[in-house]
Amino acid sequence: MANMIWMEGITQTFHLEGMDLPVLKQIDLSIEDGEYVAIMGASGSGKSTLMNIIGCLDRPTSGLYILDGRDLTTLDDDELADIRNQYIGFVFQQFNLLPRLSALENVMLPMIYAAVPRAARLSAAAESLTKVGLSDRLKSRPSQLSGGQQQRVAIARALVNHPALVLADEPTGALDSKTSHEIMDLLTALNQQGTTIAIVTHDATVAAQTKRVIHMQDGVILEVEK
Amino acid sequence: MLGVVIGISSVIMITAVGQGVQKSTASEISALGTNVMVVSAGAARTGGISLGAGSASTLTWEDAQAIAKQVPAAKSVTAFLQRGQIQVVRGNINIATTLLGTDLNYKSIKSLQPQEGLFFSQADLDAGRPVAFIGSKVRDELFSTGQSALGADIRIRGKRYTVVGVAESKGLSAGQDLDDAIYIPLTNMSSQIVGNNALTGVAINGFWVEAADAEQLNSAQFQVTNILRLRHGIKASGIDDFRITNFVDIMSAFNSVMGSLTLMVGAIAGISLIVGGIGIANIMLVSVMERTREIGIRKAVGATSGSILSQFLTEAIIISVVGGAIGVGLGIALAYVAALLFKFPFVIPLWSIGAGFGLSLVVGVLAGGIPARNAAKLNPISALRSD
Ligand SMILES: Nc1ncnc2c1ncn2[C@@H]1O[C@H](COP(=O)(O)OP(=O)(O)OP(=O)(O)O)[C@@H](O)[C@H]1O
Ligand SMILES: [Mg+2]
Repeated sequence: MANMIWMEGITQTFHLEGMDLPVLKQIDLSIEDGEYVAIMGASGSGKSTLMNIIGCLDRPTSGLYILDGRDLTTLDDDELADIRNQYIGFVFQQFNLLPRLSALENVMLPMIYAAVPRAARLSAAAESLTKVGLSDRLKSRPSQLSGGQQQRVAIARALVNHPALVLADEPTGALDSKTSHEIMDLLTALNQQGTTIAIVTHDATVAAQTKRVIHMQDGVILEVEK
Repeated sequence: MLGVVIGISSVIMITAVGQGVQKSTASEISALGTNVMVVSAGAARTGGISLGAGSASTLTWEDAQAIAKQVPAAKSVTAFLQRGQIQVVRGNINIATTLLGTDLNYKSIKSLQPQEGLFFSQADLDAGRPVAFIGSKVRDELFSTGQSALGADIRIRGKRYTVVGVAESKGLSAGQDLDDAIYIPLTNMSSQIVGNNALTGVAINGFWVEAADAEQLNSAQFQVTNILRLRHGIKASGIDDFRITNFVDIMSAFNSVMGSLTLMVGAIAGISLIVGGIGIANIMLVSVMERTREIGIRKAVGATSGSILSQFLTEAIIISVVGGAIGVGLGIALAYVAALLFKFPFVIPLWSIGAGFGLSLVVGVLAGGIPARNAAKLNPISALRSD
């Protein structure tokens, strides 16, 4: 199978008050197309830092990153924005919805930057919200929705441009166990339809639903299960 | 938006009030006429200009008549003898008003038009008849509406006078309310009301001299001074027993006051522009900083720096234009109310609208655009982290 993600010698070093803080140390990682992966590890081990690099929200200090055959280290900011828009759907622990927009408008957002015409945006956003079971809450603002519903809006937003890769950084971290199951069922179903998915989680039952678990400790990958 | 509205409307209102006050002062002054001067009895005052008529009896009607004859630059001369707070009675109505004894030229120099009846006649003046031409305010106080004042008898200081005419409303002139006055023949005033105390001739408080224009007035002033000195036996080194108030001088004095007033209004407008500008800038800055997280979210789903910047610029322009328009409207409305309340003409200088709008747009775009550009350049994760 082809590689979706190929990383070699990725490092990330932050600078805090003149001190170098190496957070990722020589990470080599490959994830194949269609995989379902969990990333686990202690708090501060660098999971989110790695996710942000995979999701093109941040650039690594050094190393090679190839996504779906494209070398991302050579791309400029606008090209990376385009990658985020077309290839990647990102789901955050804190949902990150725009509070002044309705669920429908939040889901339409990625298509605005993909220059999709308005009529097509409306129908695709409604369809995406229907997939996550929110067809009756299109006009609701985030503040009028429960945490689980907000996370479903965020997932609908992540899916709306049909990304090849969905990244979720503790997507169930702010939710109770019943709602977590619903969210995980959504992601599992999505993976069964062929989308590559990587989830950062502390929850063993969440990790158990995936097909591979990557353990991190102090900025290195410790072991890979399954 | 509120900051934009307040900034712009205060600029518009302050300049409108400034210009309105300026205009009303200017029109009050030019209503006096630039071609008249008043010669009043009493020693000349050095420094300061007094509009009050003199009280010492150093001028006579004969002086005024001599000026009329001997000064070619004087187009018209009218003498006056006046007393304030004179008791006037009609039936059981009792008022106090200004009584002014004068001649027929007073009517034309002050352009007193009768709305009813006539000004008193030369024959009335020659014979010193007890006839009265009354101001509109006096008529309103003494007579009920619809009632004709013509031919009615009124008592002035207990003496009987017949009303021969009522003046049209004229308002203030040289600080005097022309409507709140009664005009009677100078001869009658002198003999019946005041009592003559001049050594020779009929004592008066002063006389008005009207010239063809402002230039003629200067030569008239020179000639009047010479003739009066001659008639009063005042030597070159002596002190005049009369004083001349030239309204051209007053005009130029007021013009310089007006100049500083204009400057002050400009300065206040400038300050309010700066204050308004700071308000707008502050609101734009705060709105961008509050929305750094929004910028992060938008970038995370694929927005480029350019699309973020154009979104924020568009919003800044809309806020500036809409806020500017509301501010202009509110400023105009406030200026209108202020003009009504404080009775000055309602003028909105066009430049203030332009300056207000321009300010709102320039400051809005700069204060909205520059921080938005900086925030748009952050990588998505840094923007998302800001809270
Ligand atoms: N922008 C940054 N600047 C400086 N230090 C950072 C930055 N981002 C992360 N760090 C540091 O890097 C380390 C790893 O952080 P990271 O968020 O990747 O951990 P994590 O594994 O996701 O932890 P958690 O399970 O608590 O989410 C932490 O010590 C953190 O303080
Ligand atoms: Mg984390």
